[in-house]
Amino acid sequence: MTFTLTLSGADLLLLLPEMLLTVWLCVVLTMDFAMPRLPKDRLAYLSVAGLAGVLANLVWFDLAGIGGTLFAHMFVVDRLAVFFKIFIVGTTILVILASVDYVRRFRFFKGEYYFLVLMSALGMMFMASANDLLSVFITLEFSTFGFYVLVAYLRDDVASNEAGLKFFILGVFAAGLLAYGISLVYGETGKLVFSDIASPSATPGLVIGFLLIFAALGFKIGAVPFHSWIPDTYHGAPTPVTAFLSIAPKGAAFAILIRMFFVSLAAFKPAWVLLLVGASILSMTYGNIVAIAQRNIKRLLAYSGIAQIGNILIGLAAGTKMGGDAILFYLLTYLFANLGAFAIVIAVGNLIRSDEIEDYNGLNRRSPFLAFAMLVFLLSLAGVPPLAGFIGKLYIFLAAIDEGLYTLIAVGLINIVISMYYYLVVVKKMYINEPTDPSPLTISPPMKVVVYAGLAGTLFLGIYPQPAINWVVAATLMFSNLAGPAAAAPTLVLPIGG
Amino acid sequence: MVPLSAYVAVSAVLFTTGVIGVLIRRNFIIVLMAVEIMLNAANLNLVAFSHYLDSMAGQIVALFVIAIAGGEAAVGLAIIIVVFRGKISTNVDEMNLLKW
Repeated sequence: MTFTLTLSGADLLLLLPEMLLTVWLCVVLTMDFAMPRLPKDRLAYLSVAGLAGVLANLVWFDLAGIGGTLFAHMFVVDRLAVFFKIFIVGTTILVILASVDYVRRFRFFKGEYYFLVLMSALGMMFMASANDLLSVFITLEFSTFGFYVLVAYLRDDVASNEAGLKFFILGVFAAGLLAYGISLVYGETGKLVFSDIASPSATPGLVIGFLLIFAALGFKIGAVPFHSWIPDTYHGAPTPVTAFLSIAPKGAAFAILIRMFFVSLAAFKPAWVLLLVGASILSMTYGNIVAIAQRNIKRLLAYSGIAQIGNILIGLAAGTKMGGDAILFYLLTYLFANLGAFAIVIAVGNLIRSDEIEDYNGLNRRSPFLAFAMLVFLLSLAGVPPLAGFIGKLYIFLAAIDEGLYTLIAVGLINIVISMYYYLVVVKKMYINEPTDPSPLTISPPMKVVVYAGLAGTLFLGIYPQPAINWVVAATLMFSNLAGPAAAAPTLVLPIGG
Repeated sequence: MVPLSAYVAVSAVLFTTGVIGVLIRRNFIIVLMAVEIMLNAANLNLVAFSHYLDSMAGQIVALFVIAIAGGEAAVGLAIIIVVFRGKISTNVDEMNLLKW
């Protein structure tokens, strides 16, 4: 048996963003050890410059509609993949800018930090393009390896080490489940590519295999009941890593989940809708209720993140093209609001060296800008109009209404009320309580860029969502065959703004 | 000739052993070994299916799983060493700093 691999220039073009990033992260690593006197901040800006080039390349792919598959359909470039790559690269740029101040606190390996962040981003870009089970396994591990190290990056901090270990143990356990699930699916179908494993009959091996794969991806997105690593890991990890971990891998994992459920498992929709409805209800309710009891802002955002994932799963449970659109749009709103909130936590943490919610008392007196930005981000996460989170939730609920998932919507609405409570507790502490130390807080320019980007995204997506909606609708065009019975209108025209 | 069901049965036993090991053992090194057993259960399955289905893909996947298992062990042992320096312990139950 012989294998032939033919690659033309046009094929390599599809890999251009990944190749650019690979070259660039080698440059960053080389600069780090070849020029020991170079201030490490420069490496951050160098990384951002490289990522901006990759972003420009991806935008060109998106506008020119470049697409295709490589390596026997293992690697696919379509508008969905390009959307998620832009999402991941955008997140990485903002995370690196938000890390600059924090990295100064490290005693060792300041330059390698940026290298590892770029490495994880590269892994996640491949995840967005994964089109068969082997590439799912490799890319998922590729991106997670970087995160294992990043979470445990504060070597002298026992909490960070412990967080890294917990993340590692549950991460490799999930990898074991994934590998075994893949082996069962392969045994039943003899194939690996998503479109080939769409089997007409549900044999026991296939059912168990897909359940194991779903469990492994559930670990990745942190849906209940696979959430147990989330609070501890988010709490102990360096805060910029927490911000990165709470957004980019979720997007990449949803790229895989959308492909798996919408392509491979489209025939079994009635069966998996129940599974996703259950995971969604559990995630929303558990995340929101436990968040109320939190004293640490990172843990609060961790539990709120679990609840947000529950919201996104509503779109997956709808299982239509509109559900897919809603997932993509919601991820965008989540990116700006959650990253913005974490940027404030990083900025405040750098200045007062504390992540306790008590220490946010009177933040408005100390820095009106930070307090106002935090207010906007928390209200967007809660889903208050006219912010981005409101449109995101509306879109997801409309997709679910089309499919008649009324129980899920009822639970989702109750959860919005619960989440409002703990977000507003933080707001109350910032605006009404008196500060224990009234000295003013100032933030650095790169941090300001991140906060302004978060504010701009949150307000823009909330007030004028139409361009973003058009973009996500175009990104999921390949799922047009999944339109539900009531989804006659292909685009959502919103009463406000649009 | 050994029937396919025998391979799948052994693999299932290995996988269950691994899962139980992760869930009940309290030492990180043993937990890591249990995870490796889970991955090897998958490998056994993949190679057996590959032989019986007469398709090469399964063996290729198994090779990648072996490589990734090696990477996992390297990263995992590094993290365990860092934790051991701070805590002088490899017991799961003593990792109780982070909780609500």
